[in-house]
Amino acid sequence: MTIFTPEATLGPFYPGVFALEQMPHDLSRVTPILAHRPQGRPIRVSGRFLDALGMPVPSLIVEFWQANAHGRYRHPLDQSGRPLDPQFDGFARVRTDDDGAYTFATIMPGARGARAPHLRLTIFASGIDRLVTQIFFDEEPLNETDPVLCAVKDPDVRRRLVAKKTGDAEFTLDIVMRGHNETPFFDDWAR
Amino acid sequence: MTNRVLPVVHNDRESEARTPSQPLLILPSEARDAFDPMPVLPPVSPREADLTRIAPGRPRASGDAIVVTGRILDEDRRPVRRSVLEIWNANTRGRYSHIRDLANPAPLDPNFYGFGRATTDDDGVYRIRTIKPGPYIARTDIGWWRPPHVHFSLLGGGVRLVTQMYFPNEPLNEKDYIHMTVPADERSRTIASAVQPDVFQFDLVVRGRFQNFV
Repeated sequence: MTIFTPEATLGPFYPGVFALEQMPHDLSRVTPILAHRPQGRPIRVSGRFLDALGMPVPSLIVEFWQANAHGRYRHPLDQSGRPLDPQFDGFARVRTDDDGAYTFATIMPGARGARAPHLRLTIFASGIDRLVTQIFFDEEPLNETDPVLCAVKDPDVRRRLVAKKTGDAEFTLDIVMRGHNETPFFDDWAR
Repeated sequence: MTNRVLPVVHNDRESEARTPSQPLLILPSEARDAFDPMPVLPPVSPREADLTRIAPGRPRASGDAIVVTGRILDEDRRPVRRSVLEIWNANTRGRYSHIRDLANPAPLDPNFYGFGRATTDDDGVYRIRTIKPGPYIARTDIGWWRPPHVHFSLLGGGVRLVTQMYFPNEPLNEKDYIHMTVPADERSRTIASAVQPDVFQFDLVVRGRFQNFV
């Protein structure tokens, strides 16, 4: 029997102020008035969260976490020796709008060993407990050998984790929580 | 290692439409690097831990003022320090201040917004003052009432947990579809204990630091 406190759904009434004002949500800049910028290539990843009926999922909270342009995580266990970026912490919290739409404004994460550039997502919404998955980027050569992508055996399913390039710095990916074209989700409990 | 399938909450249309149907995938060992998010945490003012007044000097909100306190520990019983706790709950009549709770006929309380934050101290202890929430009806067509509960979101210090705290001796607890989705032998972990009539203790045990790997 587990000793842990069980998880539960966020419910429909998570206070927007927590999501919108108190946490970083645009990692491509520090603040508008500062000339300092994070290192690397600014990108925007956008899309919608959809349910089993194809309906948008509004007021969903998605947090993403990523390496900096050099592939370094701001984490005490990252002993890779890659440089930290003083202007980049790598964590943001975003809320979907009434159309279920999200936008991640950030910089392209660096590759790291066998790992292709990717964003790590933690998802909360009314009706679900915490979900986790990862987003990859079109046209990245390491996608072919990335261990997480390769863990998804069906190539059609694997593509659901790869954001399509729609412009120089623009990517798009819809995340389907259940049903036809369901996005693969991962278990971060297992050891 | 078995692939978990997430449970669907019965009679919860959002759960039915949004819970993944496929088993969760196990991450390959090469990707288990333990670099779980370590966000730079926002500053939290001590007065944010008092939900019973919307500003200092304003009237106290309606209903029973209560203290919710407890320790946040990891699986090795070490305190989780400097973690930010976000909490939110309905008012004494079971109405949320959230703009989406419009269909609820219960009145707003002008002196209660119903959300606040606290930071755990060196012993992993948090303490919040709020109003004991009322029950509210989640689905009128099937008469599903949600029991009084307080939402918890915990971030930082190597942990990420969202859960709901229930109150002891509430008959609605055992009729709540969300609470009943928790396995029976774990359900008591989501119910606070009344250490005084107006003080509820709710301890949380979270997966140890750096234990997650996505």
